[in-house]
Amino acid sequence: MKKDAPVTKETVERLCVLADLPLPPARRDKLVAPLSGLIAAANELNRKMAEGARRGVLPVTRFPEREEG
Amino acid sequence: MAQADLLNLTIAQAAPRLERRELSPVELTEAVLQRIGAVNATLNAYITVCAPQAREVAQATERMIRAGYYLGPLHGIPIALKDNIYTRGIRTTAGAKILADFVPDEDATVAARLKRAGAIVVGKTNMHEFAWGGTTDNPHYGTCRNPWNPERFPAGSSGGSGAAVAARACLGALGTDTGGSIRLPSSVNGIVGIRPTIGRVSNHNVVPLAWTMDTVSPMTRTVEDCVTMFEVIAGYDPLDPQSAEVPLADCRAGLGRGVRGLRIGLIRDYSLTHLQKAVGDAVRGALKTLEGLGAGVEEVPMPSIHGNISAQLTIESCEPSAYHQEWLRTRPGDYGEDVRALLEMGEMYLATHYIQAQRYRSLLRREFLEGFRQVDVFVTPTLPFTATPCGATEVVIENNQTEDMLSAIMQFTGVPSLAGLPALSLPVGFDPDGLPVGMQVIGRPFDEATLFRLGHAYQAATNWHTKSPRL
Repeated sequence: MKKDAPVTKETVERLCVLADLPLPPARRDKLVAPLSGLIAAANELNRKMAEGARRGVLPVTRFPEREEG
Repeated sequence: MAQADLLNLTIAQAAPRLERRELSPVELTEAVLQRIGAVNATLNAYITVCAPQAREVAQATERMIRAGYYLGPLHGIPIALKDNIYTRGIRTTAGAKILADFVPDEDATVAARLKRAGAIVVGKTNMHEFAWGGTTDNPHYGTCRNPWNPERFPAGSSGGSGAAVAARACLGALGTDTGGSIRLPSSVNGIVGIRPTIGRVSNHNVVPLAWTMDTVSPMTRTVEDCVTMFEVIAGYDPLDPQSAEVPLADCRAGLGRGVRGLRIGLIRDYSLTHLQKAVGDAVRGALKTLEGLGAGVEEVPMPSIHGNISAQLTIESCEPSAYHQEWLRTRPGDYGEDVRALLEMGEMYLATHYIQAQRYRSLLRREFLEGFRQVDVFVTPTLPFTATPCGATEVVIENNQTEDMLSAIMQFTGVPSLAGLPALSLPVGFDPDGLPVGMQVIGRPFDEATLFRLGHAYQAATNWHTKSPRL
């Protein structure tokens, strides 16, 4: 597991509680490795987008229309 | 006309024959239904074949045309719809067991528009379950296969539409595209497919995957046919809250303009990197052809291009998990294993992951809009590899290194999805195993016309699109 993706069996168990998603232990265990990869990549993007130079960037909520059409 | 000749007709070739009554819509529809009967056991391209309805409509169409009521270039043309597009009175499964018995009581806007134009729906095509995946390895309705080699995958999620069009089991089809689901199967099946600008084509009554990236559009053998279907389905729809009131250019009028003076951009350190050799060779060859036709090619920097796969995975994980939240708790065993796991993981991202991914989209879009000051379109391969064996979950792209299929498949198609831009995939060659290679052309917002113009000029100068699989 990458050190910046601290996803363990216990993490998945806690996330399931938070999400109110009751999964049996065997299912939770299956998710640890793929979720580690996904969260590591998402954390990397988080760091990039959190940089000061990008503070003014707004999230996409709906694509603009007329002004670009 | 012999059945093989009938099936090889493009929409543009069949339409004038139908109008002049040299070709019967009954004969054409029957030929397509027979073709489906001959190939579907191998390909699994269709989940539902609407033979009785199609025959009835074809007979009515014949009477209409005989009476002088010709509706236009789709009148009497047999087409297919991906099975997440609502069809009134015909079950719409979205490739899912959960919707196995869902029979909508109204059409999707795109289905209604095609019917109004006289198209004949012959069936509903196989897809990756709920469109959440790129292989069309469907655990409920069977593995869909590639007509160029049935041991290979047809990509997805619109794999059934791609396989059916390539196998001549319809003259055109609709797919849906969130992160590449029209362009990926278009590429590996050797056909044309366009992802429209978000808002250009109505999503009303289409089972969603990720609301902020979903689109619907045609898949055909030629760019000209793609235009014919696109012009019928595109345009504002008050029933779709995301529909855009932006006028549609006359795409057909632009087809003959050629590419002289058109500026093609390659994204530095991205467009032609991390590819299988055959894919790179085919795309470079296509660029040479376009240069020979008068287009210019130049490199454009795009500092934020890397990060796109993570952003796409984050958004495509979180949004479907919100849509599926109730079913995931009440019917988890009714999902296939891969989709169930993705939906479970989609509930485990943090809100900040999702929001940063949506902010990344703004950044990427801004860089593309800046790039469009320098060039008219951007080009990449559609996929960095050709069709992999059915069932594969990993792929080798270069240096004998295996990579996760889901991430690898998103390398190029995720970018226009995130940036909300239109993108066309068209066939540009084959690898040494005879598997098709596709090239992706990305355009300005709502400028699908330029993509069609480039694609048509390329097809006028090459013959990749005329090849057919031996099936």
